[in-house]
Amino acid sequence: MSPLFKNEKEKLETAANKLLSYAINSGADTAEVCGGYGTKTKITLEKQDYHLASSDDGYSLGVRVLKGNRQGFASCNSTDATELKEIAIKANEIAGFSPDNPHYNIQRANNIPIEAPHNLVDPALTEISLQTQKEWTQLLVAEATKDKRFRLNEGGVEIGTGISLVINSLGTHQMEVDTAASWSLMGMGVQDKLITSFDYFSHLSRHASTTPERIILSTRKFIEEVLRNLNTGRSESYKGLVIFSPRAVLDILISSLSYHFNGRVVAETTGRWGLKNRDQQILNSQLSLKDNPWLRDRSGCSTFDREGTPTRPMDLIEKGVLKSFCLDHYAAHALKLTSTGHAAGGPSSLPAVSTHTLCLAPGEESQHSLYQRVSAAQKSFLVVQRYSGQSDPVTGDFSGVAKGAEWWVNGERRYYVQETLISGNIFQALGEDLFAISKETEVIDCDEESPTLVINNISVTGG
Amino acid sequence: MKSISELLETTLAKAPCWAEARYHRRNSQSLSVQKGLVKQAKSNLTSGVGIRVFIDGAWGFSSTSDLNLQALEKALKQAIECAKSLSQLKKSNLKNLPETKLARGEFKIPGYETLKKMPLEQKLHAVLKAEELTRNNSALIHSATCVYNEIFEDKIVVTTDGANASSQLARNEFKIGAIASKDGEMAESHESVGRTGSWECLFSRTTLNEMSDSAAKLAVDLLSAPKIPGGNTVLILSPAMVGLLSHEAIGHTVEADFVLSGSVAQGKLGTLVASPLITLSDSGIVAGVEHSGGELLVDDEGVLTTKTVIIKNGILSSYLHNRESAAIYGVEPTGNGRAWLYSDEPLIRMRNTYIEPGTQTLEEIISSTKEGYLVDCPLGGQADATGEFMFGAQKVTKIENGKLTKMFRGATISGQAFEVLSTVDAVSREFLLDLGSGYCGKGQPAKVDAGGPYIRCRATIGGVQE
Repeated sequence: MSPLFKNEKEKLETAANKLLSYAINSGADTAEVCGGYGTKTKITLEKQDYHLASSDDGYSLGVRVLKGNRQGFASCNSTDATELKEIAIKANEIAGFSPDNPHYNIQRANNIPIEAPHNLVDPALTEISLQTQKEWTQLLVAEATKDKRFRLNEGGVEIGTGISLVINSLGTHQMEVDTAASWSLMGMGVQDKLITSFDYFSHLSRHASTTPERIILSTRKFIEEVLRNLNTGRSESYKGLVIFSPRAVLDILISSLSYHFNGRVVAETTGRWGLKNRDQQILNSQLSLKDNPWLRDRSGCSTFDREGTPTRPMDLIEKGVLKSFCLDHYAAHALKLTSTGHAAGGPSSLPAVSTHTLCLAPGEESQHSLYQRVSAAQKSFLVVQRYSGQSDPVTGDFSGVAKGAEWWVNGERRYYVQETLISGNIFQALGEDLFAISKETEVIDCDEESPTLVINNISVTGG
Repeated sequence: MKSISELLETTLAKAPCWAEARYHRRNSQSLSVQKGLVKQAKSNLTSGVGIRVFIDGAWGFSSTSDLNLQALEKALKQAIECAKSLSQLKKSNLKNLPETKLARGEFKIPGYETLKKMPLEQKLHAVLKAEELTRNNSALIHSATCVYNEIFEDKIVVTTDGANASSQLARNEFKIGAIASKDGEMAESHESVGRTGSWECLFSRTTLNEMSDSAAKLAVDLLSAPKIPGGNTVLILSPAMVGLLSHEAIGHTVEADFVLSGSVAQGKLGTLVASPLITLSDSGIVAGVEHSGGELLVDDEGVLTTKTVIIKNGILSSYLHNRESAAIYGVEPTGNGRAWLYSDEPLIRMRNTYIEPGTQTLEEIISSTKEGYLVDCPLGGQADATGEFMFGAQKVTKIENGKLTKMFRGATISGQAFEVLSTVDAVSREFLLDLGSGYCGKGQPAKVDAGGPYIRCRATIGGVQE
């Protein structure tokens, strides 16, 4: 265990153990405590100016109890014994009047595999002074205000450390410390009477030494993307090929698709696929999708889940074939399987199922060749960069505004369009309508990763 | 033993600058049921004090969950250190907050005590019953979900320039979702209600049985509904859709922090931005409407909430302000400074945002529409700096020769908000605030409500192209 934050770890562990014993003494058969400590310093920007500096720290603890097949949960943001006793009693009271649900369970967790990324702390990052953080923020502001056409609405630089702890009455004890510097910007391009769409980016670094350079490079890239939208025009309505940027693929297609990998959805039969579909072809054979919680520099990196179960990289789809579902203990019990380490949530929430860091595998064709092929097949087409709209995970239908979208005519980008709507269906898009996948991939907001996709039969309604 | 208010005053007495101490205790409970099984029954308690200071134009903030003088003094010291560090970089000319009328005393919205006294077990039984009713409404209902959430808030705001206000309110919401299926086809629908007040307030307009019936019927009807053709067309927007438009597409662009960053509303005060039929307001209390979801008497800066008329007869007349932006513009703050938790700083947020009612009936508006769509049951939406918006709607019904004809599957509507409001040629006298179960996101959540009358306008529907 790292000597850093020794006092905070001990205080958190002591409070968690107290809460666990209060829960058992108040009548629980089994109990689980999820605890957290966080400290952060933040410098925020607003209205084109420095706005606020803040410094906080705090604890939070939540207790889940089982009385037979009945469950109760309560949480607080205090380590005070009186409050801990109160929430232990409250959790038991809720379990007392809740009806039976046979799938609730608490299990003893295995040890975290040795190959998991055990150390998420750069000691240098924990020692960054407010003065250095101010200098990093100045780097961000300098890059964001170089071109006067960019209007900074809000943003900032934050340095934070979090301690996560899960213990239960069956002997589980998992603790993890995570430190990161993160920065973000939200703003738009303004030139004369023209205003671009709102745009936003966030980035993180787990290493103090590389943070300044990464702040400059990521901000520069973001500002370039925002300002190019000042060249706007109108698109036409059509149904056909549309190019989806990596961000658009993740926002529109993969976010809705991930609903169907949720083990609780599978157990409730409200998804498209069930256990009988495992090892069957469900999507286009060009598609492979992995969930990888062990990528150290991604925000979704973690070695254990909300229930203390160790995480591991896992194939969800391999060449279009369904390989696995994401399970917490509830879904695993309902499906007669074992947890895959996908219980999501924190001290103030009950476990739910979620993916960690989804990575869509690249194809073999270069982006350049892919654009050439689409230009040859269609005189004009839309390239969707971002999306603001609805995606119904149940039906797979999506419909919304293509933000910062490019309008291409005769193989050349003409301008960026506003008020252009796209609609389609994710199952068709990732099935028979998938036209091509690029070999280049992009990591979005330091988390999920995707190549560019070309999809056919997308409806485009020009503004 | 000192009261919390006295503790906050004692702490601030040591501040060498303008300072604010805000105590906030939030107790929330959440219940959800799906397919007859309780999925979630939980209680959360969060409490603490946020301390904010203003030094030479820069803000410093720190918070603590410990309610003792030592912890509060430490937080004050940290906040001062933070503000001093930033003040050297701050470009703004505003170095001090001007005097303004601040709230003192107790501000309680009725319903808190009665909702608190009602056992959680009784609320869970209602959730279980509603889910069962929805699930058994039709053989085509595949599954149903019911969710009940409630929040009890206790706050005390003290500032060095005179605010000392304690407030108390309870907010609750009930949501029903239904999934219908037939021959491999699935359709989903949602019904929700959100109020500030007691359990009875929640169902004062629509009973639980009616909500359940409506959710199930809509899911079943949507199963056989075709997809809508896309294009620019005449739309009659329901009060809930008007609420979305007022909040997302207009309200955010007139938040003064956003205006100062260059939103589309910058420099447009006093100009015609909408049809003269449009008067749009944001208010903590809406005259004639009780228990709205965004009801608020005093904001988190200790400013009494006022009714702010944003657009009057088509002319942009005010932005929404906190104390800082009001000082920059030389106007009085509007009571829009709100924080989600004690550890959050107050931001400019809306409360209840709505278009004022007109004189026509909905029936008259429909019968005078040759061709168009009636759009209802919002699915959420977003808007950006340009005023360009995108809203989802579950239920879209075709209007042909003044009559409602067939229903289409959910669609997306889009346009530039001010342009769309300029096309408004009919406003109904029927009026409803209907988005009380909604949350607004701006770095931190905020409980808001929105609505209005039915309005007829032109916008783009995103549907299928052949």
